[in-house]
Amino acid sequence: MDALVRNATAISDIVVELSGVCKTFRQKQRSERLRDAVRTMLRPPIREVRALQQIDLQIRRGEIVAYAGPNGAGKSTTVKLLSGMLAPDAGAVRSLGMDPIRERVRYVGKIGVVFGQRTELWMDHPIAASFEWKRVVWDIPRPRYERMRDLVKELLGLGEFFNSLTRELSLGQKMRAELGLALLHEPELLFLDEPTIGLDVLAKRTILGFIKDLNRERRVTVMLTSHDMAELEQLAGRIVMIDHGKIAFDGPFERLRREVSDHRRLLIETANGAPPVLSGAELVRSEAGRHEYIFDAAQTRIATLLEQAASQTQVLDVETHRAPLDEVIADIYRQWQR
Amino acid sequence: MADDLTIEPQTHESQLSVVSSQLQSTMDNGRRTTDHRPQLVRRLLRLWRMYAILDFTLLMANMKLAVIWYLSDAVINLAAVMALLLLAERFAGIGAWTKDQVIFMLGYATVVSGLMNVLFGYNVLIISRRLGRGQLDHTLIQPQPIWVSLLTEGFMPFSGSSVLLPGLGLLIWATHRLALPITLGWLALLVLNLAASSIIVMSFSFLSGSLAFWAPRAAEEISSSSIRLLTQLKIFPLDGLGPLLLGGLLTVLPVGFLAWYPCRALLGLNPAGWSGWATLLAALIFAIITVLIFRKGMHHYGRTGSQRYSNLGHRS
Repeated sequence: MDALVRNATAISDIVVELSGVCKTFRQKQRSERLRDAVRTMLRPPIREVRALQQIDLQIRRGEIVAYAGPNGAGKSTTVKLLSGMLAPDAGAVRSLGMDPIRERVRYVGKIGVVFGQRTELWMDHPIAASFEWKRVVWDIPRPRYERMRDLVKELLGLGEFFNSLTRELSLGQKMRAELGLALLHEPELLFLDEPTIGLDVLAKRTILGFIKDLNRERRVTVMLTSHDMAELEQLAGRIVMIDHGKIAFDGPFERLRREVSDHRRLLIETANGAPPVLSGAELVRSEAGRHEYIFDAAQTRIATLLEQAASQTQVLDVETHRAPLDEVIADIYRQWQR
Repeated sequence: MADDLTIEPQTHESQLSVVSSQLQSTMDNGRRTTDHRPQLVRRLLRLWRMYAILDFTLLMANMKLAVIWYLSDAVINLAAVMALLLLAERFAGIGAWTKDQVIFMLGYATVVSGLMNVLFGYNVLIISRRLGRGQLDHTLIQPQPIWVSLLTEGFMPFSGSSVLLPGLGLLIWATHRLALPITLGWLALLVLNLAASSIIVMSFSFLSGSLAFWAPRAAEEISSSSIRLLTQLKIFPLDGLGPLLLGGLLTVLPVGFLAWYPCRALLGLNPAGWSGWATLLAALIFAIITVLIFRKGMHHYGRTGSQRYSNLGHRS
């Protein structure tokens, strides 16, 4: 279905296209043993890390795409390739109709990049100075700059600390300013690499809400990486999962849940303390007559489980919950590791 | 539009050659802009102006601290040349150099250091730090040629002038005492030589600093060591050294071009008329070698990226 939708998409709507992209890094290996250290001094053994293997990916204009995977899966490498910082070993990278390396100067003027663990802000100056710096370096016409500055100030709540030194701000305030800075030149395409790392719930909510509004109102295409799956699901319609440099899943979150498993939790409260034995469900916890089970709804019907429980003991109360997406993803990562 | 999305079959080598041409492309941009030279000049001036304002506001943020810092920096830098000055005073000169000629040379050397501080702060001069700390990525996402970023981002005319101003003072004082026949041509030659010496310092720092492309951790501080080496040695007159050592100090470690040789030419101590242009020629050669090596480094960087990142704020 997805393929059909994609085929029907107008070519002009595709803003990012990776075709057969490969990237391999070479890491020198070191030994702690003195003998090996001397022996391998001139020719250390090399380990090849295949960060990306034959990646094919298309992103359409106005999409928010979650790009997820375990540590070292190749997420940041992809973002670097798309930001013009790195060249592929093989394959082609096209973004906004340009080659990010060959046409770097023109290209980076149309994208915004935010790395959660890096900052573009001037640490010893107020946020206002960083914004002014951006205006000059990006050559943003003043009326457009002032309009965007006022907009991000208002929507991200930057006003109260706009003239404070960056060094003295909290992590959440810095990240809001960082995001505002990345948007001043009105990029068509936004790459966000773990933008909410280390932030509290309120700061996360502000940033995610802003990204969503930005996408809805201005059709900014967003590619977002994060380890927080709930956050990704809240924001993105589509998730691309990468593992060992290969795309392991590309589709909507709902399909991800369906394809991997539909794990649910069943909470039963019984009159006596002993947990009923339910085939098709695994007992996770039992305490003072409250018993928690986990089961795969695709394999076992909930009605069957309740019938089993009722036949063994008096059931006082029942609750069911979908497993959090984080658990689903953790399951996937565990499967990949095997 | 279909053309826009045509995927060009590219081999590994062709991709890498594209990356290696990143620096070249910055030059291409420069070449393209030769048709629009006024725009480029205007852009450079706009950037310098903005960085000057940032520098001024930083200095003014805490006036008391700024004054203390500025004065102490000036004292430290003058103290670095004071030992030689005292020797020249005690022995009425050093070798063939009179006391005032030594002061002229110290002034020249200090002005070169001052120019470096004013133009290439924020670790632009100490480029190995930026490379070793993975901070080049920040430059790559700016929509301008890399050379424009490197030429403008370190401009610190106020906080960086604590070395330049005393250096200029020494130079003017010595010129006055030497009663040099100052003509417009001589002044132009002085300015050109100062620029050439600065280019040689910059080239040497970038040449050694390029090692950080290949060994980011081990070579992170190599530019600062190189600069320190040049700073310590450049104030000495090199007359009387054997040809091998002198040759080494004009090529491998180009200390001789940072004060001694250009000052000999400017003070008329060299018989050859072309000697005033020798430092300029040396600067050109060093600059070409540096561009070639740095391009090679960029080629490598495009292939490997940065494997490490030090979050110290990307300009420190």
